[in-house]
Amino acid sequence: MKKLITTLIIIVVLVIILFILGPFYILNEGEQAVITRFGAIVNTQTEAGLKVKVPFIDNVVKYSKKVLSWDGDSQRIPTKENQFIWVDTTARWKIIDPLKFYEAVNTIDQGYARLDDVVDSTVRTIIAENFLSEAVRNSNKINEMIITEQIKAENVEDTDQLKSLTQIKTQSDTITKGREKLSEEMFKLASGITIEEYGLELLDILIRQIRYSDDLTTSVYERMIKERNQIAEAYRSYGEGKKAEWLGKQENDKKTILSEAYATSEQIKGTADAEATKTYADSYSADPVFFEFWRTLESYKKVIAPLDKILSTEMEYFDYLYTKEGAAAK
Amino acid sequence: MLERNTNPTPKQFTLQPKIIIIILVAIVVVILGLSSFFVVDQTEKSVVLRFGQFNRIVGAGLQWKLPFGIERNYNVPTEVVQTMNFGFRTEQSGINTVYAKNDFPEESIMLTGDLNIIDIEWTIQYRINDPYAWLFNVQDRLKTIRDISQSVINQSVGDLAILAVMGPERTNIEVEAQQRMQEVYDHYGLGIRVVTIKLKNIIPPVGDVQDAFEDVNKSVQDMNRLINEGKQAYNKEIPKAQGEALQLIQIAEGYSAERINEAIGDVARFNAMREAYKVDPDVTTTRLYIETMEDILSSSSAGDVTIIDKNLENFLPIKSIGTQGVQVTTGGGTN
Repeated sequence: MKKLITTLIIIVVLVIILFILGPFYILNEGEQAVITRFGAIVNTQTEAGLKVKVPFIDNVVKYSKKVLSWDGDSQRIPTKENQFIWVDTTARWKIIDPLKFYEAVNTIDQGYARLDDVVDSTVRTIIAENFLSEAVRNSNKINEMIITEQIKAENVEDTDQLKSLTQIKTQSDTITKGREKLSEEMFKLASGITIEEYGLELLDILIRQIRYSDDLTTSVYERMIKERNQIAEAYRSYGEGKKAEWLGKQENDKKTILSEAYATSEQIKGTADAEATKTYADSYSADPVFFEFWRTLESYKKVIAPLDKILSTEMEYFDYLYTKEGAAAK
Repeated sequence: MLERNTNPTPKQFTLQPKIIIIILVAIVVVILGLSSFFVVDQTEKSVVLRFGQFNRIVGAGLQWKLPFGIERNYNVPTEVVQTMNFGFRTEQSGINTVYAKNDFPEESIMLTGDLNIIDIEWTIQYRINDPYAWLFNVQDRLKTIRDISQSVINQSVGDLAILAVMGPERTNIEVEAQQRMQEVYDHYGLGIRVVTIKLKNIIPPVGDVQDAFEDVNKSVQDMNRLINEGKQAYNKEIPKAQGEALQLIQIAEGYSAERINEAIGDVARFNAMREAYKVDPDVTTTRLYIETMEDILSSSSAGDVTIIDKNLENFLPIKSIGTQGVQVTTGGGTN
């Protein structure tokens, strides 16, 4: 019994030792391995699973088979028109030839270092060879779109006029390549070197971000501010203009309305006068002598009666004061 | 260790070997038990590797695997929609979500197609739809998602004018970016599905530039205010003027009616008088004359009348100028 236990334990211990040092090793999914024997590469493994090696002698170096990220520092690069911009690129890569990679690069960290060299210089080359807008834009879409201010004016004419006023008619440069094409060029330039030399493959190089250099940023801000100011002024000025127009219209309409009313009223009065005159004339012309007599008397009543007056008795009215024959006595 | 412990005490406990076996077996069973079962949450799927090689994917519940590390399981949250923010960070989600105070301009500041600068914050939501790919295809998964998302948004924005980005193209950017990101992620075999891209704040750079943009909004208000002021002035005067015009015309109408009616009246009276005059012109003339004189000399409204004899050679009238005789007397009395 005791012997059995002892042997059992010994077997277990041996098996454990065998597994630790032993001919087996596990290669996980997403890993690949280079097996070296006394420093020389004897084999590479790319499939996951339980693998065999010669204990003690074979050395297993594992590499990732996964897609790896490369992230460079932002670089300050002059474009073709000599504007300095910060370009931040990122790339994806993986080890496709572990044997070559082991020889030429050895460690993942070294791999990153190599990529730093290759990609940084590639990015620098391509950016420097192209204009800024080629790197910023990807198509000429911007020139096909007419972008207007979002205006909420009170009516359609106002809106149309304002739109034409505030529309910034800057035609952007036509680009021939665009960002994707530049990325592709970088990628081609860099991948030529990487596979051959280092056993690693670039999947892509992407421009992650482009920024203006600080002094350029300041002047761009200035430009943006001026552009806005100009539009703001257009609105204000338009408002002022409209106000003046309304005030003018007010003056105009007021005068028009009142003068028209005056004209009409004078016409009405004139017509009335004419009609009255005609009425009088028609009637009075039938007997001008009586009219003169009668109308004069009427006028006397109205005009002379209220006046303070000194009258001589020479008037016919007073004839009977002197003689009972009256006027006949003269 | 076990051997050394057992050796010095063989005579004291005869049952010791059995106990050792039992203990050993128990240990083995416990290890077996612990390393043979694992729990997969409802939100997860588990990838099982046998000797490092992909074997199977299992769903939620209590699952079984080969023990002693022969099979390993990797649980992946496949049902959970995960979020990644750009330009801002959520500190604490909840009814009142708390956002980190600091911005991340290195993510959110970008160039537009018309070479302006804009600050964009956005969110990407994704779900792992292929746990195997998620685990074994890409090394720095979160960084990859972040890098690609940034690159794609930058490119979309770089293709548009600043006003387009701030206004009408917003939704298009979201849709287009989602498509492009998905394409790139698929290209890497990342095993995720982009659920949505949401652009959050799209603002001009903070400071003077933003103020200038604000000022445009203000200027539109100013414009409308000025136009309204103009209209106000117009409305203040014009309806009144229209009323005044009507007044003038009404007055004229009144004058017209009065004038014509007076004429008609005057003429009617004249005609009537003439009829009477025709009967005996002489008598009527005399009568009218005398009546008129009567009126002139004696009517209540008649003025001061002084009659001078026609035979009087001289007459020196003494009159108060400008005042009535009555007033002079009363005035003298007060003096």
